[in-house]
Amino acid sequence: MIEDATGAIEITQRIEAPPEIVFAYLTDSQRFVRWMGVGAVLDPRPGGRYRIDVDGEHIVSGEYQELDPPRRLVMTWGWEGHPTVPAGSTTVEITLTPDGGATVLKLRHHGLPDEGERRLHAAGWTQYLSQLAVAGGRED
Amino acid sequence: MEAIANPRRRQILRLVWDAERSAGEIAATVDDVSWPAVSQNLRLLKDSGLITERRQGTHRYYRADRRALGPLEAVLRQMWMHDVGRLRDLAEQEARSRKKRRD
Repeated sequence: MIEDATGAIEITQRIEAPPEIVFAYLTDSQRFVRWMGVGAVLDPRPGGRYRIDVDGEHIVSGEYQELDPPRRLVMTWGWEGHPTVPAGSTTVEITLTPDGGATVLKLRHHGLPDEGERRLHAAGWTQYLSQLAVAGGRED
Repeated sequence: MEAIANPRRRQILRLVWDAERSAGEIAATVDDVSWPAVSQNLRLLKDSGLITERRQGTHRYYRADRRALGPLEAVLRQMWMHDVGRLRDLAEQEARSRKKRRD
């Protein structure tokens, strides 16, 4: 996991399942909502849009830019109505690399607003807090 | 991060997010049944630097220190790690059950 200077997050996760199954969890709405959000409408083709109801209150949405099943997926990403990270304002790139019968998933989320901009929009914090609650809340 | 993993503490944090509130007001609003539980959560939040305390006479007032939550990157990284971890568990489960069906 590396964080570079341009406001990007990188996560690498090894999964003991073939890329076909992992890719299905990224693009099939029924499988998708089992790991993220409470509802999802996905139209996984280049230029297609998706909308994820994260917690019944906050919506993440964006557009698919590249799909190369079962290897690569690029989409824009943001929260609807968010002051610093609105829908479509950042980019999430996911690559799946086969490794034996397993898959190495790399997720890169980039184009995040810089620290200076973030500080100008204190209102955004309340939403970050909610998102964090969503992220950590399932362990309650 | 552990300080905000608890739903009661998140409730307190939301309550004091935009306004300073007295200990009494907080206790009357949150779902904790007992004052010692509220008091303990306030102390934990204070110790982790997420809220600040101001004393006036016998009263105590609290409000959130938003800077303590860290940058957006940290929040998003936490979110992705958590969700991708779930994706891993689900995909591995599905791969195992497919293999079993084949065997």
